[in-house]
Amino acid sequence: MNLKRLEATAAKEIREMLRDRFFLILAFVSPPVMMVIFGYGMNLDVENIPFVIVDYDNTPQSREYASHYTHSRYFHFLGYVKDQREAQQLILRARIRVAIVIPEHFGRRLAQGRSTAIQTLMDGANPLRANMTKSYIIAINSQVSLQQVTDFMATVRGIPRREAETMLQPVRLEVRYLYNQGAKSRWSMVPKMIMMVLMMAPPFLTAVAVVREKERGSILNIYSSTVTKAEFLIGKLSPYAAVTAINGLVLWALATQLFAVPFKGSFLFFVLATMAYTSCTTGIGLLVSLFVSTQAAAIVVTMIVTLIPAMLYSGIIIPLSSMGPVPRFLALLTPAMHYTQIVDGTFLKGQGLLELWRPLVVLAGYGMALFVIGHRLFTKRPRA
Amino acid sequence: MTAAALVVKQLVKRYGNLTAVAGVDLEIHPGELMGLIGPDGAGKSSLMKAIAGVMSYDQGSIHIRGHSVSTEREAEVVKPMVGFMPQGLGQNLYPDLSIEENIDFVANLRLVPAEAMAQRKERLLRMTRLDAFTKRPMKNLSGGMKQKLGLICTLLHEPALIILDEPTTGVDPVSRRDFWTILSELLVQRGISALVSSAYLDEASRFDRVALMHQGAILVQGKPQELLQLVPATVVHVRLADQMAGLAQLRTHFPKTLGFGEWIRILVPTADRQQASERVRQILGELPCQELLCEAPELEDVVVERLSADQHETAATIPRAPPRHHAAPAPLARGALAIEAQALSKTFGAFRAVDHVSFRIPQGEIFGLLGANGAGKTTVIKMLTGILRPNSGDGQVAGVDMSHSGPMIRQRIGYMSQSFSLYFDLTVEENLKLYAAIYGVSRHEQRSRLPWILAVTELTARRSALVATLPMGVRQRLALGCALIHAPPILFLDEPTSGVDPLGRRRFWDILFQLARQEGVAMLITTHYMTEAEYCDHLALMHAGAVIADDSPLGMKQTLVARLGHVFEVETQDPYRAQQLLQQSDFPHAHLHGRRVRLFSQDETAIVERRIMARLASQGLGVPGISRSIPTMEDVFIENVLEMERRGRMAAAP
Repeated sequence: MNLKRLEATAAKEIREMLRDRFFLILAFVSPPVMMVIFGYGMNLDVENIPFVIVDYDNTPQSREYASHYTHSRYFHFLGYVKDQREAQQLILRARIRVAIVIPEHFGRRLAQGRSTAIQTLMDGANPLRANMTKSYIIAINSQVSLQQVTDFMATVRGIPRREAETMLQPVRLEVRYLYNQGAKSRWSMVPKMIMMVLMMAPPFLTAVAVVREKERGSILNIYSSTVTKAEFLIGKLSPYAAVTAINGLVLWALATQLFAVPFKGSFLFFVLATMAYTSCTTGIGLLVSLFVSTQAAAIVVTMIVTLIPAMLYSGIIIPLSSMGPVPRFLALLTPAMHYTQIVDGTFLKGQGLLELWRPLVVLAGYGMALFVIGHRLFTKRPRA
Repeated sequence: MTAAALVVKQLVKRYGNLTAVAGVDLEIHPGELMGLIGPDGAGKSSLMKAIAGVMSYDQGSIHIRGHSVSTEREAEVVKPMVGFMPQGLGQNLYPDLSIEENIDFVANLRLVPAEAMAQRKERLLRMTRLDAFTKRPMKNLSGGMKQKLGLICTLLHEPALIILDEPTTGVDPVSRRDFWTILSELLVQRGISALVSSAYLDEASRFDRVALMHQGAILVQGKPQELLQLVPATVVHVRLADQMAGLAQLRTHFPKTLGFGEWIRILVPTADRQQASERVRQILGELPCQELLCEAPELEDVVVERLSADQHETAATIPRAPPRHHAAPAPLARGALAIEAQALSKTFGAFRAVDHVSFRIPQGEIFGLLGANGAGKTTVIKMLTGILRPNSGDGQVAGVDMSHSGPMIRQRIGYMSQSFSLYFDLTVEENLKLYAAIYGVSRHEQRSRLPWILAVTELTARRSALVATLPMGVRQRLALGCALIHAPPILFLDEPTSGVDPLGRRRFWDILFQLARQEGVAMLITTHYMTEAEYCDHLALMHAGAVIADDSPLGMKQTLVARLGHVFEVETQDPYRAQQLLQQSDFPHAHLHGRRVRLFSQDETAIVERRIMARLASQGLGVPGISRSIPTMEDVFIENVLEMERRGRMAAAP
């Protein structure tokens, strides 16, 4: 290993990167932009569902029932409409997602202690959203029913409300969300977006940087000189590793400042793990660059090999525990999954090396293996 | 005994099914300048990359100074001894780095010691006259400067063998001569061996030895003078009142007879000039011969002779075109003005691509725009065809103003672009039919037009072949056919012959010539091949966006002879010193050409010879030989550029 040659390669790379506007943007602007776009976009909370009420009863009781929905943060009340037909039209035009229909004699029947039915019309086009909406409505409705029964029993039996409540609901469910007390999806998603961005940006940069040299023909300088493969690869990639390290810090700052996600774990450990992770993603970029010969192909291939596995197997959409054996095995092969454990642990659970040494070791080994393979496959005397 | 600088034996390189290099033998002695000349796809680059150790090969052996280059490990051993400059302008350079940063990077990569490096850098920059621009980013250099910088980067580690892949293709002739001079100086001074490839056959005389490549094999190799002896023949140029009748008659006896501007060029298979001219006169018989000149054959004749030996295709006379359909644009009368450019100018940002270009092309004339890459040729064509809007100036095409009649012009012209614009997954006939449909040629008319086009372009037998399977020269003829589909009276051809082999180029020119003479088609054709320019009736030389000369090819040469005299080539033992001595004395135009010195003089041959010998003998230099010839097209181009620059300087001086 000759340091002078390594240094010459790295210095050349830095100069080129700083003088090429496209590269500068790719290196420093695109990662935070992706982070902001993903951070705001990847919100899985279903809130502010637009809805209307059809009130055929129009009594104080029916209005009281409706108020439970109009005051919920999950629903956004757009007003009363006169009949079901009109409500259906609104659903068809996607102005509302759900309509609550209160039948005639609603108030009277309740007062008589008789049962009554509320009809809900729902837009089933998006099953995930419809299911969430349904569960909100069920929860609100059962709470109202329980209140009604409690009031009725307290009046009839002449006992205090609390006593009536205990009699009616001997087993109560109490939920406490640990680590993310508000169960806010943003707290969980934003750190995972660091994982996504660092999965895409570094391989883009490295693949394009190497392929650009191939495409332009200047790689022949490298082939025809006495610089060794290791000197070239390290010299070529180390500036991008540095850029990525800076980006990692910028993304961390965005997550904690802009998106206000708490960071409870060891910062030092997080930095270390991020470096191990980016060595993996940079290594993926290197491997891509060895198989393609144009920048356009490099971009497309990088996109496919990084984005899709990171989306499907990292646990963002489907939790690892819900996967079958095959997808689970595939997930183990993606560095994204291991790094997701690290961001989850360090951001929300306050974990560090003690709890997360295993994924760290996996990532470090993974990165190393990619570079050994890259070094093996890179040749200064190719077939064409 | 010193080992040969390079020995290549039976080298084979394949890409999948394609054999790029098919059993090549090559040897370069220490200090020798070897040329590798051939068209695109001949296998030059593959051979050179294999030798430089940057690409593997399939069979055979390569030894550089006795070291084998058959594995990556072995290749690493020879890399300190080899300098390699790949094909393409500035290919091995970094556009965002300055001249100096490029040099420093390569020097550090090669571990050149700091002291030696400072010295070499200084010397090479001075020699290439790049020392005034060391801070300029490479992307802002001209083609010639890029190539000189590339050469410096190849030489920094003082290799014993340098391999330069087409260093002069597309570079303007002045920079090209400059490049060769620097290279000659280096070789003469340092004793380096060099393998240099070129697409230009007329560069052969600059080498000690040349190998002519075709389809992966070496056709012939040897000293340029010896190769010329391979075809004992005389080239006879005649000018006749009835050119077409003469051409037809001469062809029956000499198949390699070509229309050459207003001349006919005949290759007569005898070295005896007297006999050759007599035979030509005899065949012409009654036809009055206005002028007759005899010349020695060129290397291109040798190549064509070799290639046609196994391709036995004779030049055919093209059939008359079918009668035009009433919807087709009416043909203009011969001699009527077909194309006129009046002070056309175009700027791209601060860059003046075309600067007040004017010319007139009558119907039936082949008009050539000759210039390097970036001289502005394509921009002129794009303006005349209505694709680009000029900043100022006017143009008329087929009597229509180009600036606001784009669609009308396009019906009257055929346009063949640099890239040929063919669909590779369609057959020959499908391509023609597609263009017919695009230009709105009716089915009825297609029935008479298609067979004629297939016959003219000699593609009838290949009408069902996929374009992807056709060689370059055939694709080129098909592209011409597509441009002719709507029977246009005017043709624009943008570098139609780039990269095509000499035989293919000759056939192509023969078709163009007959179209012009027989069908009265007017043509504007661009090229960067100096020798090709001589096929044109009329020429405009373009340099840095401007037309610097405008005349017939012969007229240009005669003007130069009148101004500077004939060309003398001097053989001597120390050409570098001889050139300097001669330049300082009576011959300011003396320059190195390979290992010979070339100069101009208007005086009598005997007087010139005596003066040269006296000058060199006074410094103890012997002169084995001096020969006299008429200037080449390259001389014409270079001297015109230099003259223009000289006048520019005088005008600028107070």
